[in-house]
Amino acid sequence: MHSDIVIDCQHLSHSYGKRQIYNDLSFSVPRGRILGLLGKNGTGKTTIINILSGYLAPSAGRCTIFGTDVRHMPHHMRRQIGLLIEGHVQYQFMNIEQIEHFYAPFFPGQWRRDAYYELMRKLRVAPRQRISRMSCGQRSQVALGLILAQNPELLVLDDFSLGLDPGYRRLFVDYLREYARAEQRTVFLTSHIIQDMERLIDDCIIMDYGRILVQQPVGVLLEQVRQYTCSVPEGYSPTPHQQLYHPTVSHGRLELTSPIPHQQVAQLLRADGINPDELQSHPLNLEDAFIGLTGKY
Amino acid sequence: MLKSIALKEWLKTRWFLLLINVIMLGSSGFLMLRMHRAMDIKGADHIWQVMLLRDAIIVDSLATLPMLLGVVLALVQLMPEMHRKCLKLTLHLPCSRLKTTSAMLFYGVITLTISFALCLGLMHVALRPVIAPEMVRHVLLTTLPWFVAGLTAYLLAAWICIEPTWKRRVLNLALTAMLLRVFFLSDTPESYNGFLPALTAMGLLTCSLVWLSVLRFIDGHQD
Repeated sequence: MHSDIVIDCQHLSHSYGKRQIYNDLSFSVPRGRILGLLGKNGTGKTTIINILSGYLAPSAGRCTIFGTDVRHMPHHMRRQIGLLIEGHVQYQFMNIEQIEHFYAPFFPGQWRRDAYYELMRKLRVAPRQRISRMSCGQRSQVALGLILAQNPELLVLDDFSLGLDPGYRRLFVDYLREYARAEQRTVFLTSHIIQDMERLIDDCIIMDYGRILVQQPVGVLLEQVRQYTCSVPEGYSPTPHQQLYHPTVSHGRLELTSPIPHQQVAQLLRADGINPDELQSHPLNLEDAFIGLTGKY
Repeated sequence: MLKSIALKEWLKTRWFLLLINVIMLGSSGFLMLRMHRAMDIKGADHIWQVMLLRDAIIVDSLATLPMLLGVVLALVQLMPEMHRKCLKLTLHLPCSRLKTTSAMLFYGVITLTISFALCLGLMHVALRPVIAPEMVRHVLLTTLPWFVAGLTAYLLAAWICIEPTWKRRVLNLALTAMLLRVFFLSDTPESYNGFLPALTAMGLLTCSLVWLSVLRFIDGHQD
């Protein structure tokens, strides 16, 4: 429980039938960090969450949480793992009070009833309103409130922004960030809305189909990854290079994304027959960096 | 923790449990009233004669009702768990998964048993003053396999419900139909008497099949 690595996945491979999702994937999440898993649809984000939460046996490889294999985790360790299922799924047949009464006895000594009801007061719904009759945003707050009340060491959140309007997304992100920073909690999350991630996460893993493209602190990523543009002669076709991501030519201008410095990009372009004197580099936000590294399609 | 599980199951099923009791007591009560009315019109000796000579047991229209109610209780209890894979929340509780699953099934078996016992009690109370104790015993023993079928149907429907893949669900459904058929092979009253303990044991053992479905759910099987 006191190791610096909270989540450790080594050599993960998984396939659905003949379709391989990824092969030999390894990553780890240090204690007290908020890590966002970014990837396009179908890159296996939910598959990783399912493996981590013990609801999927990977074809190969091993995942540990707090040093224990997730497939053989003693049930009491689940007290320290808060799980948010995609779509903020909760027991729809319960109301706000009932669901709190239901969960509280499972977490003796750590349940923070006040944290839950503080968030519920913001919803302005009757305490006896059933969760099934709430909006998606309200349901997300109930799910978050329950996780905050559980007060776990690790939070695993699958696509927390799904179906939320900007106001609820902001509320969710701000609450989660304040909580995780104040309590030094470790968070592993996925989301489709990358602007939200930028406000929230310390580190990111960017996944492409079947592999991890990048795993590093967001600050370092945004410091390194740049968009580069320059004029190119008519009929120019870019030569593929491992460090130049998704080069495209439109109306005589080359556009690409790369994590390597300006000088090295210029050298590579010169070797490709391009005059790099006009080469310009532009800083990117997380969403643009993600699109630049993974491509638009 | 078990109290919490019971609370969850109660919240899902309370209205349906009321309905089960209304249906069970209502239909058996109706049959008892009809018999009493027939006795008023044609005399008790006529009813005795019919029961003894034609081997009629008066309540045979109840035969499949416990089985149907068992299936519907399993659906009412477990469909909300399978909706958007809510069962993940239940299995993520810091409590043994086997214990959690058993508690959920135990709740269903106990509530069904109470409903069935109330129905048997009502029949006993209504029949005891008007027919001989041996004939009351004859009627109640004949109905027992139907109630055991109700409990077995509940457990088998739970097995189908929790199963994560449709292909396997169809297979489970076929096996369920075959197993439940065993309870209705003979129309002869009391024909199951010697076989009933074994049949009850078999019925209750089907709860282990539910655990197989839970394990498949945990392993992430999908179509």
